[in-house]
Amino acid sequence: MSSLAPTDTSDRRNIAAHRKPELIDAVPVRHPGRWAGAVLILLFAALLGQSLVTNTNFRWDIVGTYFMDVLVIQGIGWTLLLTVLSMAIAILLAILLAFMRQSDNPLFRGVSWTWVWFFRGTPVYTQLVFWGLISVLYPKIALGIPFGPELFSFSTQDVITAFMAAILGLGLNESAYLAEIFRAGLKSVDSGQMEAAEALGMRKSKIMWRIILPQAMRVIVPPTGNETIGMLKTTSLVLAVPFTLDLTFATNGIANRSYLPIPLLIVAALWYLVITSILMVGQYYVERHFGKGVDNIVPAPVKPTPAAAAAKAPKIKDELP
Amino acid sequence: MTITNDLMTKEALVRIDGVHKYFGEHHVLRGIDMTVRQGEVSVLIGPSGSGKSTLLRCINMLETISAGRIHVREEMIGYRENRGRLHDLTIKEIAAQRREIGMVFQRFNLFPHRTALQNIIEAPTQVKRQSKVKARSRAMELLDRVGLGNHANHYPAQLSGGQQQRVAIARALAMEPELMLFDEPTSALDPELVGEVLNVMKDLAKSGMTMIVVTHEIGFAREVGDTLTFMDGGIVVESGKPRDVIANPQQARTQEFLSKVL
Repeated sequence: MSSLAPTDTSDRRNIAAHRKPELIDAVPVRHPGRWAGAVLILLFAALLGQSLVTNTNFRWDIVGTYFMDVLVIQGIGWTLLLTVLSMAIAILLAILLAFMRQSDNPLFRGVSWTWVWFFRGTPVYTQLVFWGLISVLYPKIALGIPFGPELFSFSTQDVITAFMAAILGLGLNESAYLAEIFRAGLKSVDSGQMEAAEALGMRKSKIMWRIILPQAMRVIVPPTGNETIGMLKTTSLVLAVPFTLDLTFATNGIANRSYLPIPLLIVAALWYLVITSILMVGQYYVERHFGKGVDNIVPAPVKPTPAAAAAKAPKIKDELP
Repeated sequence: MTITNDLMTKEALVRIDGVHKYFGEHHVLRGIDMTVRQGEVSVLIGPSGSGKSTLLRCINMLETISAGRIHVREEMIGYRENRGRLHDLTIKEIAAQRREIGMVFQRFNLFPHRTALQNIIEAPTQVKRQSKVKARSRAMELLDRVGLGNHANHYPAQLSGGQQQRVAIARALAMEPELMLFDEPTSALDPELVGEVLNVMKDLAKSGMTMIVVTHEIGFAREVGDTLTFMDGGIVVESGKPRDVIANPQQARTQEFLSKVL
């Protein structure tokens, strides 16, 4: 790099560039409306706070008693398990459905389209009731050759338990919505990426999995986080199956027995808030992972002529936080 | 045609015979014949919409041709002939053909979620099943060759356009292709950055790589090109030694075009 050493004249320019300029200290525009608004909001917040404390119908003592109740904590466990498992099923299916929808194979496209049409087109409540009744419809599930011998069979009731029915109902329904989110994500990736990978001789499946999907995740993660939080609360519908161990059912049960619906609704709401907050933290990290190389990157300045680069180099260092 | 004598003796690497291409009703290639010999640098120029990029993209099956034949080293691109009928190649077979042909795009198309080094080793490790260690050391050699040895761990967003394009060239070279296609490689660059990319291409040409280059850089064509082909309206208007075509174009359309770009 010695050949790039600045000449005498650029030395002088260097000194000029390094002298600290007088920084602008301008008077900012005033925003009286904001202050008025803030006062108003604080007033409302104070009123609300006062009512929370003084209105005895809230029964905060009951909220405290049941907040860590065994039934409640178990309910949280089941709710989380339902959320995680049904989202896992939904995500796996959604990736598959979105890939199928983009396939050259008309069979795949048709199956994917029909799946989304059906599971998005019927209410999740109906689907949950249906999965709950599946053993009435098909008491025995058997795999065999049509009109020929049976290969194996099992009793539906043993396999599709209430928990299983809840997960299937929630997961399959969700997969239809997620499939559309994933499809939108895949479409958001520049077509040049597919071409570049194809030109390198990569196979379609590899391209989708290694090149397109990771980039699509930037677009997919925020709405999927939304769906996950939605799912957390949709799990309260599993009483349609009926599955009766989740958080909402547990708190409702306690409320009905103690004739204290309001404090137990508060218990449930607080717990949903806590879990949602934790999920949001998780989403932050997932987004950061998939934003690698694109978001939160300090773009290197376009390299000017070597002399200019030499002159500016120390300054750039100063400007970095 | 006046191709330098030593090239005349070389065997044809790319043979394009009577190629037509329709986009729906739109007839974009109207019977292209062209030969590119081993080690030749063939430069394609022409106004936008003349079909030069489409022709390039047909060579590695990013577009399918509607009529004619394209052969690369005696192997037909995209089809197999069997009892007088053409059969589509499978996706797997097309991928195999593409491995022999490197391509550099106008918009670079680096993988933004991968560093420069990861961009380069992607295909060797995933397609050729090279070991990571081997692919990595080869990638570093290539990065040094394009002058970016100390940028291996930069993401594309951290590189200038010229640097990104040089990484893209290294990425294509990592598959050790016998033919390199360049689709307006400097058209998306700031004027100051064009030179660094052209220099890499020049070195590559000197090393004996067979190259087909779609470009507007007439200077590059004159200096590095072995043949210059002028296309317009989906046909080859004129082709010959770059110096001859540029200094003494035979066709009125070529004269008109060159008078505007020179």
